[in-house]
Amino acid sequence: MKAVLVENLEKDYGKVKALKGISFEIKEGEIFGLIGPNGAGKSTTLKILTTLLQPTAGRAEVFGHDVVKDAGEVRRIISYLPEEAGAYKNLTGLEYLRFMARLYAKDEERSEEMVELGIRIADLGERLKDKVSTYSKGMTRKLLLARALMVRPKLAILDEPASGLDIINAYTIRKTIKRFAREEGVTFLVSSHNMLEVEFLCDRVALINEGRIVESGAPGELKDRYGAENLEEVFMRVIGVEIPEPVGGEGS
Amino acid sequence: MSDFWVLARKEIMNLVRDKKLLFGLIIVPLILYPAMGKMIQVGFEQAQEETHVAIVNFDEGRYGELLIKALNVTPNVTVTVIGAESLQDALEKASREEQNVLVIIPSNFTYAIENNLRAEIEIYGIFNTIGTGMRESVSETRIRAVVDVLSEELAKIKVKRAGFDNPEAVLESVGAVSKSVIRGRIVDVPPSIVSSVLASQSLSLPLIVFLMVTITAQMSAGAVAAEKENKTLETLLTLPVKRRTIVASKIAGTAVMGLVAALAYMIGLRNYLGNFQADAGISLEDLGLGITPEGMLLFAVIVFLTIVFALALAMLLAVYAEDVQSANTVVSSVILPLAFPAFLLMFVDLSQLPAFARYGLLAIPFTHPIAAYRYAVTGEYQMMLLSIAYLALVGGATLYLTARIFSSEKVLTAKISWGKGKKGVL
Repeated sequence: MKAVLVENLEKDYGKVKALKGISFEIKEGEIFGLIGPNGAGKSTTLKILTTLLQPTAGRAEVFGHDVVKDAGEVRRIISYLPEEAGAYKNLTGLEYLRFMARLYAKDEERSEEMVELGIRIADLGERLKDKVSTYSKGMTRKLLLARALMVRPKLAILDEPASGLDIINAYTIRKTIKRFAREEGVTFLVSSHNMLEVEFLCDRVALINEGRIVESGAPGELKDRYGAENLEEVFMRVIGVEIPEPVGGEGS
Repeated sequence: MSDFWVLARKEIMNLVRDKKLLFGLIIVPLILYPAMGKMIQVGFEQAQEETHVAIVNFDEGRYGELLIKALNVTPNVTVTVIGAESLQDALEKASREEQNVLVIIPSNFTYAIENNLRAEIEIYGIFNTIGTGMRESVSETRIRAVVDVLSEELAKIKVKRAGFDNPEAVLESVGAVSKSVIRGRIVDVPPSIVSSVLASQSLSLPLIVFLMVTITAQMSAGAVAAEKENKTLETLLTLPVKRRTIVASKIAGTAVMGLVAALAYMIGLRNYLGNFQADAGISLEDLGLGITPEGMLLFAVIVFLTIVFALALAMLLAVYAEDVQSANTVVSSVILPLAFPAFLLMFVDLSQLPAFARYGLLAIPFTHPIAAYRYAVTGEYQMMLLSIAYLALVGGATLYLTARIFSSEKVLTAKISWGKGKKGVL
């Protein structure tokens, strides 16, 4: 079964067309990357798949469930980490994980299992007993990632998972995602404008620009196709911008 | 544990641990209000202490002396007779000796009384320090009381000398005994006292309803806006929980905290006002106006429905705010004008108003608890049931709208930009 099916998806915000008919598929167990510059339509696509926004036209399915008609069922099998997310500041990290686990698990035993997994993923040690308001940005992001993964969703949707983090925190988060996907077989949809991150994480990627998918395939395949050293060069060539020599991108 | 309780518990925990909120909602009313009241009470008590009166007697007759004797035997009054050449001289001396009041008995005092002319003394309150002036005011009142008694006694003597056996009957030719009829029963209490008992109820109730509504509304709006401000709303909305459960749990969580805060304000306010209000010693029960358990139950239902309406409306409005501060502004600008007309009921009787004004006021849900309290007192349960039906309808519709907006993408995209009108954004 396809984990995600997106067909001719369009989204208008008033006069602004954020998505102009995008289509792609994600196979079960795959880490799929949606990459493109700021404002390309990545977050809008993710918000439609997470049932937060409704498409203007086209359709999207998650494991066969329509995101509009069957939104409740979609929410039951996905887990979403927004780009700019926070946790409840007056709760401790542990209380936050418990609160979230209780909403996913229907019994206490299952909920405790989720919390145990969350504690391992977050890897914050004793600091989990402190209030979230005392956490650094990196610690909060680790807690939120742990929250998203501990429920073992069928599809984890991560919007810029390591955005704004220092090199060590970003590296740890990417490693965690990769390991979790390998060990648990969870399907991932990751959006990023960091090409290095995507190359490291994803089995397949779709390049999105100005609301349209401009190219898709495995990172190695795309590099070969365009004779490029990295995905950044691929992207620039796809959108028709020539750069005299490669330069380092964000996070590189 | 159901999703509802998990979410409601989180709301309460989050609010309880907010130190700023706890200070404003619990500490201020429970500690600062009574403390303020106590301080003012101390001021009152100090003012009630000994009055120091300086008297300059320019009168050489017997009535000047009589007035000094009368003041001398008055409790809490210490009289010092001082000699002075002029008013200026007397004021300087009294001020130097830290007297509160200076009384000048003029030279023609006895002459005027004996010749049936109006005698006048002069009372000067001396403000040695600029305080509230309570002490000077109390001193003046005490002297006036002595002068009034003296004046009345002198009048009686003069009337008796003129040949009347019963001077009281001449001075007060017509007397009146006031009683009240409440629900067809004669009560041996003057209407003015009944009115003041009812007024004390109608004064505090709108204030309490107003506080309760504004506090709970601000809290529920804050609970939604904080989700936006702290970037937790998107995650919350993608959880496997029904949107109406999210709305209901937020309402329940903030209602619990809101009611605790309202209770704290009620207790604090009662303590604060209790320092000034003289107790008439008569309760509603004494007047035959007690509320029955049925009346109390109906009243409680009406208060509950009003709060639900306020909470749902505040949440609906908070959807359009980007952060807690703008949520407070949006809610204040809508709820305050709606809650304010309730204060009109402090001064007017709903049944005496023209129909359009009466229905206009009753269209506002916040006036219902105040009207309902009066209906509970007078036993008009039919009217209370109508209130319940109306509030259930309006509250239900607001809740439905709030749940609808939470189920749509408007909860993420709608916002009001002040000065630019309403618009939806990315």
